Amino acid sequence: MERTAPRVGKPGPGEIASVVVLALAFAVPFISESPLVYSITNQILIAITAAFSVYIMLRMDLLTFAVPSFMAIGGYTVALAALKGGVTDTLLLAALAFSVPALVALPLGALVLRLRGVYFVLVTFVLTEIVQLLLFETPGLTGGSNGLVGMPATTLFGLSLADNRAVLFVAAGLALAAALITAGVTSYFRQHFAAIEENEVLAQSLGLVVWRYKVLGFVVAAGLAGLAGFSLVNMLLTAHPTSFSPISSVNYIGYTIIGGRSSMLGPIVGSTLLVWATNIFAIRGEYSQGLFGVLIIVVVLLARGGLLGAVRSLLLWVQTVRARASGTAPTSSPTVAPKSSPTTRVAP
Amino acid sequence: MEGFVAAGLIGVSLGAQYALLALGFTLIFGILGVVNFAHGGFYVLGGYVAYAAVHHLGAPYPVAVIAAALVTAATGYAFELFLVERRIDDHLATLMLTLGLYLVMSTGVLVVFGPESPQFAFPITGTLRGWGLYVPIANLIVLLVCLLAIGAVYALMYRTDFGRALRALADDRQVATAQGLRPRLLFPLAFALATGLAGLTGALVTPILSLAPHLGDPVLATSFLIVILGGLGSIGGATTAAFIVGMVEAYSSVYLGGSKGALVLFVLVLVILVVRPSGLFGREVRGA
Amino acid sequence: MTQATHAANRAAADGELRVEKISKRFGGLKVFDDINLTLAPGDILGVIGPNGAGKTTLINIICGKLAPTHGRIFLGGEEVTAKPFHSLSRMGVVRSFQQTNTFRTATVRENLARAVRFSGGSADVWRRLDELLARFGLAERQDEQSDKLPYGQQKMLGLLLAYSTSPKVLLLDEPAAGLEGRERTRVDDFVQHARADLGCSVLIVEHDMDLIRRLCPRIIVLDAGRSLAEGPPAEVLSRRDVIDAYVGAIDEEDA
Repeated sequence: MERTAPRVGKPGPGEIASVVVLALAFAVPFISESPLVYSITNQILIAITAAFSVYIMLRMDLLTFAVPSFMAIGGYTVALAALKGGVTDTLLLAALAFSVPALVALPLGALVLRLRGVYFVLVTFVLTEIVQLLLFETPGLTGGSNGLVGMPATTLFGLSLADNRAVLFVAAGLALAAALITAGVTSYFRQHFAAIEENEVLAQSLGLVVWRYKVLGFVVAAGLAGLAGFSLVNMLLTAHPTSFSPISSVNYIGYTIIGGRSSMLGPIVGSTLLVWATNIFAIRGEYSQGLFGVLIIVVVLLARGGLLGAVRSLLLWVQTVRARASGTAPTSSPTVAPKSSPTTRVAP
Repeated sequence: MEGFVAAGLIGVSLGAQYALLALGFTLIFGILGVVNFAHGGFYVLGGYVAYAAVHHLGAPYPVAVIAAALVTAATGYAFELFLVERRIDDHLATLMLTLGLYLVMSTGVLVVFGPESPQFAFPITGTLRGWGLYVPIANLIVLLVCLLAIGAVYALMYRTDFGRALRALADDRQVATAQGLRPRLLFPLAFALATGLAGLTGALVTPILSLAPHLGDPVLATSFLIVILGGLGSIGGATTAAFIVGMVEAYSSVYLGGSKGALVLFVLVLVILVVRPSGLFGREVRGA
Repeated sequence: MTQATHAANRAAADGELRVEKISKRFGGLKVFDDINLTLAPGDILGVIGPNGAGKTTLINIICGKLAPTHGRIFLGGEEVTAKPFHSLSRMGVVRSFQQTNTFRTATVRENLARAVRFSGGSADVWRRLDELLARFGLAERQDEQSDKLPYGQQKMLGLLLAYSTSPKVLLLDEPAAGLEGRERTRVDDFVQHARADLGCSVLIVEHDMDLIRRLCPRIIVLDAGRSLAEGPPAEVLSRRDVIDAYVGAIDEEDA
């Protein structure tokens, strides 16, 4: 890993790789026709979009449980716009799905993010419970326990995107948009986020208005979750409270932590593997959480960089072993030995 | 008028239960700096251990309750000692560890006992009548036990060396360690105390309310609300806020109905956060 | 008064730190009461006192990390008592830390770059920084991860981080703690450079009496929750009550 002076604002290899991977998702409808593949891919894309929301906050060492609540705000906004407002243009709906949750997050963030980080965690958890309650208690707006059904298919430039393939394209498009936004924000503010994550007090002592960056991250994270909500509602053609349950926040957190929190590829890897695994092994929702629990504990104790970090450490180890075996002196790369290395926290 | 007093009694009763839960949670945070995400899970575990002791082992209820408290305390002790302690300085890591534990516990309970609520009833039924009030005896007993437990916790924290040591660690870990206190010994004990309280509450309350694997979530949310309101780390704050929350919940469910009560609470907490971020009794929280 | 004197007065007022009747309580515990001090640009003030007297708390309050229970703080005539940590930093009141405190996984250069950026500094700070890096033997190690540096150099980096923000008031919290004999004179060097380059005032909390005697024309003694004495070191350190308060602590300095 290079140790050059910080490159301001430029995307790193992790960001670029993520965008490329997601662009490749557009190829899936051309490779396969199987409804199972479509369904799993769609779920994965939604998971990735939501996981980015968790990822962005983790860059500042903040854990958000609010992803389902902002997904709900985004999803219901889209459903209402489509059902009551007659809006079906995908781009317009996406803009709504991003901006409405972001606007809600702004005052909330300004309120909570000036306090200690632990308050943020508690408040986001409680927020998700509140939103769930609101969804059930305001049937006039949200359809209550019935939700909002019968959403029309979205359109793009007049073309109706009703069939499975088109829905998959929308999901891929939303995931790609989320990736571009995430890449943009984390690249441009890389030094600020890294400083906040690593040593918030020091950053403040040097004059950084830390809470502003936290609020920025929170607002963007809310928008990303809103996009995920749109994607989910579009797949189901229904906005229902059970899609946004408080405990589902754990899933998105799991995908990011287990995949690896130090790089954008982490949420992608985590979402892909875990969604695929729970589908293929027909693990029901409740039981999969037990699996997540074990994996989270393992990651926290043994593999700080998640799956991605573990793979990276493995490759490094293989490299070192090979170099020694072939008699060449190991390069004096400043990267330290894996496992207990703090380098798993540094973005590529 | 009777409705008013009856609601008040429910409020006090709820408050006492919540106080036991919130005390445990705030102790873990204040002393160890850990947000115990598994707190609701220990409540549920306590309920199920008591249920299993009564229905599968034929134990009398009081024994079952004690067993529940001991099992949850022991589980908490082991968890802190072997897992949490290894990342004790990293707040986010310990939170994720407790989150992982919660998931494992919930799923474990689900696998062992199934998703349906078991038939777990309080052994003493009947109501007390007087002054136009109907008070279920069960609630009264639970209230008494909870109040006793709260009193015991206060006695422990303020009148014993152990409690003083814990509070010193909470105030300033560096100074306390320099003065010879050993966190490695005391932390697992503190954790066990808190989880034991949660399990005790579970064993007492679930026969009256209900028992199910997923009940940990709302318990956790309520604990969070209470400690935000009362101030993280403050024992007095947790107790006071617990009773406030209990009262608000009781009155709003009687007079407003449905989950409006919960909404009222959440709004209340948000307002408090604006006006006084450190909660009613909390310490300075000027962070970012 | 002449134009020049007016200008000098204004310049002086701009960076003057005035701490008025500051007191701090934590719950039932009183840390100190009625602390007053003034720092004009270019001043160097030493703050000494036994452990637990509240010296670090005083720094925490002046830099904005903690709010005082009573009292007020003025910078350049403007009241800054309630201002948050980052605001005071931006206004020029910057502190260093007692423990080594850097961005551990970042290189020396990245650390300094962040300090310059977060304080809204301009590129010409680097000119002076490069000089100081060379002076303190950090120039060759610029691309090393900061937590791989030896202790002494991490502490110097901490001082340089504060310097990078071009402060008006530098609050140094035990800058020499843990440093070996010859490394300690680097602190002198640093303080003199900071004053010369930035025209700032410096407040030094220290246990090292030699360093205090060398650098500070004026010192304050904190003890038992109050300011026990104030004046030139030679005078203050020979006072009976200061020696009594400090018995035992003076031996610590030869670490």
